[in-house]
Amino acid sequence: MNFSRVRAITARKFSSIRRDHRMFAFIILMPAIQILLFGFAIGQDPSGLDIITIGEHPVFTELEDSEDLVVHVASDLDWAITEVESGRAWAVIVADEGNLTLHLDASNQQVMQKIVSEVRTALEDAAPSALPITLAKPIHGQQDPAFINFLAPGIMVLVCFMFSMILTAMAFVGERNDGTLDRVFAAGVKPLEVLLGHLSAFSVVVIGQVSVVIFIAVTVFDIPVEGSLLTLFAMGLLLGWAAMCIGLLISSKAKSEFQALQLVMPILFPALLLSGILWPVEALPIGLYEFSQLLPTTWAAESFRSIMMRGWGLSDPLIWQSFLIIGVFGIIALIAAAKSLRVRS
Amino acid sequence: MAVSISSLTRGYGKIRVLNDLSMTVDSGSIYGLLGPSGCGKTTLLKVILGFLIPENGEVAVLGGAPGEEGSKVPGVAVGYSPQEIALYQDLTIHETLLFHGRLQLMEPARIAERIEWLIDFLDLPESTRLVTKLSGGQKRRVSLAVALLHEPELLLLDEPTVGVDPELRARIWQHLRTIADSGVSIIITTHYIDEASKADRVGMMRQGILLAEGSPSNLMEEYVESTLEDVFLKLCKREVKA
Repeated sequence: MNFSRVRAITARKFSSIRRDHRMFAFIILMPAIQILLFGFAIGQDPSGLDIITIGEHPVFTELEDSEDLVVHVASDLDWAITEVESGRAWAVIVADEGNLTLHLDASNQQVMQKIVSEVRTALEDAAPSALPITLAKPIHGQQDPAFINFLAPGIMVLVCFMFSMILTAMAFVGERNDGTLDRVFAAGVKPLEVLLGHLSAFSVVVIGQVSVVIFIAVTVFDIPVEGSLLTLFAMGLLLGWAAMCIGLLISSKAKSEFQALQLVMPILFPALLLSGILWPVEALPIGLYEFSQLLPTTWAAESFRSIMMRGWGLSDPLIWQSFLIIGVFGIIALIAAAKSLRVRS
Repeated sequence: MAVSISSLTRGYGKIRVLNDLSMTVDSGSIYGLLGPSGCGKTTLLKVILGFLIPENGEVAVLGGAPGEEGSKVPGVAVGYSPQEIALYQDLTIHETLLFHGRLQLMEPARIAERIEWLIDFLDLPESTRLVTKLSGGQKRRVSLAVALLHEPELLLLDEPTVGVDPELRARIWQHLRTIADSGVSIIITTHYIDEASKADRVGMMRQGILLAEGSPSNLMEEYVESTLEDVFLKLCKREVKA
């Protein structure tokens, strides 16, 4: 291992990255756009929901103050039901001697849950002593958590992982094909030196990506970060490095850029679906759950969530274990890439 | 002896590219490897570089087995200019040479000195020009400059003069002769037959077999022909008959 040669490769790669404006835009803009789209499209509370009330109840006055519901008052139940049937309203709420009956369009679970939760909140506000249940201030998280608070940490992990992997997976295939890598090998450079050279050049890009992702989550979507921003950033960076190592492994196997993309996809989908990013891994069937525990993205998503919501730090086992597991995963991928990128065959 | 190969066999998978090939390159000489594309020239160079491990036969380069522990090949002892130009398109000429100089662990002052000399000698445009903006012939000369940069004891040049103008080609050959006289061994592949006749020794290759090997004058004498072209033709006909 000769670090002067690693540095030479890093410097060369820098000159290329600096000149490639399209690549630069891809590197910084794409993660930003992706996290913005995710944040706006998924996990925000639905609003502007039409509901119809029939009768008199203190809850109805509370509901009229709701920001997300549009309350229409009616007296004819049959007419109101037809309105829901034809899709012009989501629910009819009938008050009968202090009892409330909800007739719901349950075809959209998110909307239905929103209405039920609004009614429940209104009930608590209208008659605090009516329910024998009191929700104390949560130990972790907010009183009335939005789905985006669960989703955002996972999406941040996905974006950090995905773009770092694509970055190296694509960047390296060309060099193997056009003879430039042969020429570097002819100078006696070792595969690991080549890989480390690329890794350190692209690290600057990954630092930018992770910063952009965390910045948008915190400023645009107002996602709280209870724990240390530095720990969060460090984990995003480590995940980015591990993903770059996987990208380099893909690059060392693929014969063309198209083939590299074909190899990226089968990695991306399990990462998205089996890492607890969109839905808790606790919901996975036996077998798949165990598999999910082997993925670095599962550990990263759970840690991101815990750092952001629970305020956990390095002293908590989950966090330091995640650092360890993601790190080991990256090193294994790097070694595999170095083995696969042989000078001699 | 700079390179000594005996009974070399090597292919890719089931395809046999080099078949029982033997050749020797003397130290401080120019060896012209002549043959049509697809005859195995590039594969042979990759064996000499240590990139391809022989299936059979012995290969010694600068006194060692290339690619083995302790060998200077691949490494500082060899300069390689591949057939495909193999340059980073998005670097300038200067950055390209600087990069390869650093890979060879040359002193910065020495790199600067060599770059200046090579740009002048190979008649290259200003060093801040991007490789992608160069003509085909200019790219080939930059590629040659990379191989010459660190003054290696063995030069492997795969079709270095394609698309280079005759005046400059003559100058390149003159330079190769000068450095060969100072002890550098050079293997150069070409399909310009007149070019091969300037080499000290010529190997005629076809379908992975070395049909003949010798100095140009010896070959013409032996096969009673007046040009290398006719020698090659005669050998091909004989091969087809056999």
